[in-house]
Amino acid sequence: MIELAIRMPLDRFALRVEVQLTADAVAILGPSGSGKTSLLEAIAGLRRGAVGRIAIDGEVLLDTAAGTRLAPERRRIGYVPQDAALFPHLDVRGNVRFGVRGSDGERRFDEAIAMLELAPLLRRFPATLSGGERQRVALARALATAPRLLLLDEPLAALDLALRERIFPYLLRIRDQAGTRMLHVTHSVGEALALAREVLLLRDGEVAAQGAPGEVIEAGRLATIDPRATFDNLVSGPLSAADGPEATATLTLPDGTALHVPDGSGAHATFSIPAEDLLLAIHPLDGISARNVLAGRVSGIEPFGRDALVRVLAGGIEWRAKLTSAAVRDLDLSDGKPVWIALKTHALRRLGSPVV
Amino acid sequence: MLTPSDLTPEDFALLGFTVKVAALATLAILPPGIALAWALARWNIPGKGLVETLVSLPLVLPPTAVGLLLLELLGRGTLASRLLDRLGIEVLFSAKAVVLATAVMSFPLLVRSARTAFEEIDPRLLGVARTLGHGPISVFARVALPLAWRGVTAGALLAFSRALGEFGATIMVAGNIPGRTQTLALAIFQRAELAHDGAALRLVAITVLLAFAAVGTTELLIRRRARRSA
Repeated sequence: MIELAIRMPLDRFALRVEVQLTADAVAILGPSGSGKTSLLEAIAGLRRGAVGRIAIDGEVLLDTAAGTRLAPERRRIGYVPQDAALFPHLDVRGNVRFGVRGSDGERRFDEAIAMLELAPLLRRFPATLSGGERQRVALARALATAPRLLLLDEPLAALDLALRERIFPYLLRIRDQAGTRMLHVTHSVGEALALAREVLLLRDGEVAAQGAPGEVIEAGRLATIDPRATFDNLVSGPLSAADGPEATATLTLPDGTALHVPDGSGAHATFSIPAEDLLLAIHPLDGISARNVLAGRVSGIEPFGRDALVRVLAGGIEWRAKLTSAAVRDLDLSDGKPVWIALKTHALRRLGSPVV
Repeated sequence: MLTPSDLTPEDFALLGFTVKVAALATLAILPPGIALAWALARWNIPGKGLVETLVSLPLVLPPTAVGLLLLELLGRGTLASRLLDRLGIEVLFSAKAVVLATAVMSFPLLVRSARTAFEEIDPRLLGVARTLGHGPISVFARVALPLAWRGVTAGALLAFSRALGEFGATIMVAGNIPGRTQTLALAIFQRAELAHDGAALRLVAITVLLAFAAVGTTELLIRRRARRSA
């Protein structure tokens, strides 16, 4: 269990976080400047201004009342800041090796290199690496120290969509194979849902909500708190490979409907599609290039910032489509109204295979 | 064109003494200069402004004024002079005084250059290094110094070049004693005063070559470094 009772003055407000986190993967959501990075730095021991108490599984890292303040190098916390922050004067080997010591250091180094698949890059310098490669090196560098907690500050934010897709499985691997606890800051609800088992919502330095991802990510509320928040629909199910040169692979939705997906490798997969990539129609669709058209019914409409999220039951799951308020009005959408969802196969992004 | 055969043994002795003194002064200020630059770049200590001003003073004061202040500091009856007497060290009007004067005058150049280099380091790198199990000294040695290497070296070479040509402060605390405290700069002055223009110009030519060597070395080091980290 991670106990946090931190107070720290920031520029515009004070950080005041008092929570106990039990899950092995916790996502921290909140608007820019809500104190997320400062919270991570305080936990890592990089903020002298932080007072209060921090304990992990009963071991006290900070207790200002008792005069305890463990130096960052003694906290055994791995920190991956935004944009990786690799040491530019060291090659990949030097970076990953930087925190390695002790008798089983060699083994941990090898494991980290293997897990993040860095063997071909060992001699390269950070300046020659792509964004995704840098993130992997930063993750390996933190992992190789066998940290009891990994702090990730928007690990995927600097990457484009295709790269995110590639890094994501590594994060799942770290969570499930390495068994390393993670606290990760993100703006993506999809990322939080897929990676975290507990969510902390920060606003102006304070905890606005805490709990299971589904409970906390009540979309309307999140969007008013974080204008950068995106809502990704997640679809999981068994896959069927393409049977023919022109066919695409399909994923079977809970009600048996086949959803065309861009990648059919493996038996089971999770795909994400942003709410703004769903098209809604109030008449049956015909002559449209999108491979997936699902019939459904509106099950609710929520405000999402200045727009609206329309919930639609189709294929046995609830989808959310982001529409402008004007579009909701023009289509005269209301609860129970029949609608058709269109989504392009290639708008679906594969996330790492869910762990069985 | 100047060839080595044109130089007298006295010229060579002057060159040797000047380089030796400048090198000693530079080596002497490296540890405190780098430490101070690091402290100024990283910490918001009270009285920081005062320290910064004090360090920069030799850059803006007339060198003779700095020399006179040093003279006062080490003159008869002061705490510093009594301590040095007790240790049996004679500073004033000796080669040690030349090293001291050139060190004080060169110090701000090293500190300013090194400080800028330290300030340019992304503080997150230093923070991450701490979380990877390295204490402040190890982080300084393994991250800060390698990354600030160019600026520190450039500062040291600037300081060395400044030390080679120091005149005003040196003449105040060390005098202009041939064979004892006389450097190239002091000898040029003396020879010109005595209207030995040819002999003075030979020394000027030496200083020009020294300057080229110092600047050239800086460039070479920086370029080699750039290639390695590319």
